[in-house]
Amino acid sequence: MGDVLSQVSEAMAQAVKTAGESVVRVEGRRRLPASGILWSDDGLVLTAHHVLHHDDEIGIGLPDGETAPGKLVGRDPSTDLAVVRVEARAGKPARWMELDQLQVGHLVLALGRPGKTVQATLGVISALGESWRTPGGGSVERYLQTDVVMYPGFSGGPLVGMGGEVIGLNTSALVRGVSLTIPVPTLRKVVETLLTHGRVRRGFLGVGAQPVRLPGALAERLGQETGLLLLSVEADGPAEKGGLMLGDTLLALDGAPVRHLDELLGMLSGERVGTSAKVRLLRGGETKELKVTIGERP
Amino acid sequence: MAALLKRLNDELAELAATARASLVQIQNGGHGAGAGTIWHADGLILTNAHVADHRQLRITIPDGRTLPARLLAHDPALDLAALVVDAKGLPVMSLGDSRRLSPGQWVMALGHPWGVEGALTAGVVIGMGKPIGGPISRGEWVTVSLHLRPGHSGGPLVDVDGKLVGINTMMAGPDVGMAVPVHVVKAFLRQLLGKQSD
Repeated sequence: MGDVLSQVSEAMAQAVKTAGESVVRVEGRRRLPASGILWSDDGLVLTAHHVLHHDDEIGIGLPDGETAPGKLVGRDPSTDLAVVRVEARAGKPARWMELDQLQVGHLVLALGRPGKTVQATLGVISALGESWRTPGGGSVERYLQTDVVMYPGFSGGPLVGMGGEVIGLNTSALVRGVSLTIPVPTLRKVVETLLTHGRVRRGFLGVGAQPVRLPGALAERLGQETGLLLLSVEADGPAEKGGLMLGDTLLALDGAPVRHLDELLGMLSGERVGTSAKVRLLRGGETKELKVTIGERP
Repeated sequence: MAALLKRLNDELAELAATARASLVQIQNGGHGAGAGTIWHADGLILTNAHVADHRQLRITIPDGRTLPARLLAHDPALDLAALVVDAKGLPVMSLGDSRRLSPGQWVMALGHPWGVEGALTAGVVIGMGKPIGGPISRGEWVTVSLHLRPGHSGGPLVDVDGKLVGINTMMAGPDVGMAVPVHVVKAFLRQLLGKQSD
């Protein structure tokens, strides 16, 4: 009885076993530990930024049952990723799957190791979209959403294909109430940056802003319908130093229109830190141009 | 490929039909009904202690008869109870090995959720053993990624071969189902029978 079903079930358990050898427990907060993925055989562990409440005294629970101390290499809150180095011989690094093989509707497993043993749950790929920007301004190669239920302690664990390959890292904190996976290309990029710089640099103006509709005549003249009204300007921040004031409406940065927050965040990439930018704004009904040196986000 | 999915569906349906033959309904005088699992052909029924926690128990067996049941033993700590009805030749489910379950394997829970008779819910094993932290830190469990509802309690959790691997018991949080593993049920019965022979 249950020929196909038995085979499917066994194949799934095998996928969990295979991928489980690179799933570790990450003890970086009080109460419930979370999960992490062995990235390389020199002991790099990838996990979620939000499960590491402290930078020191991180414990890594290895697949063989041992717990080894971990040292934080760096974290990137904008993509909710963190890299930890563990000195011990850690287990097998994950086998990765490229996203071009993946389609909406594919069965996937989410793995975690909040306790001693590996745990698993099942779902399907719900959405596979283009690149997107996280609420924190991080750029992610593909939008990858699943319907897997993220159990407590599953954040930082892998999304696994039916062959036991890792598709990405699961996080429940990037967008509330949605199970999102950070795909492998983004993981590679963030790991590389964290290994080189210890952090992911992001440009920073030191303003809080909200999109507002521009007056009709101005909108027509500029060819853009909205701008960004400054609701706060941080004291001594890059914007204030450049002369921006509360109540200004940002229109463009270096000639490129800023109609939504996304557009502004997109321009504040790491390479722009320390460079000077021409800011066009609306103040008292007049357009004005100022120079601002873009800072680095703390 | 589509044929494969169809076979999978047919197998699931066949499994449900077979397992349903060993599923009973337990009326305890309250509203709604609990579930139970036929353990022995001569009328031994297993369920949760919280389902059997009443004086007047009546059990509807798969052939449609409703019979009075006698409480043989119960253990609130394990949340298990053994009941007996006066019947012979009941369809028994073969027992699986709950110690050999592993995360990612398919399992199915049968019961009468919200009064829906003989309903089946499928999911996978999340993990086994003692839960870490959380509200339940005692005892051994099979944790499963399926939703157990009032009326599931006491019903069978079966594996892909239709073998009994657990007794559906409760939810831990909004999305985690918990079942008492069948090896714990065996130990409970061994202790019970041992006591009787004293």
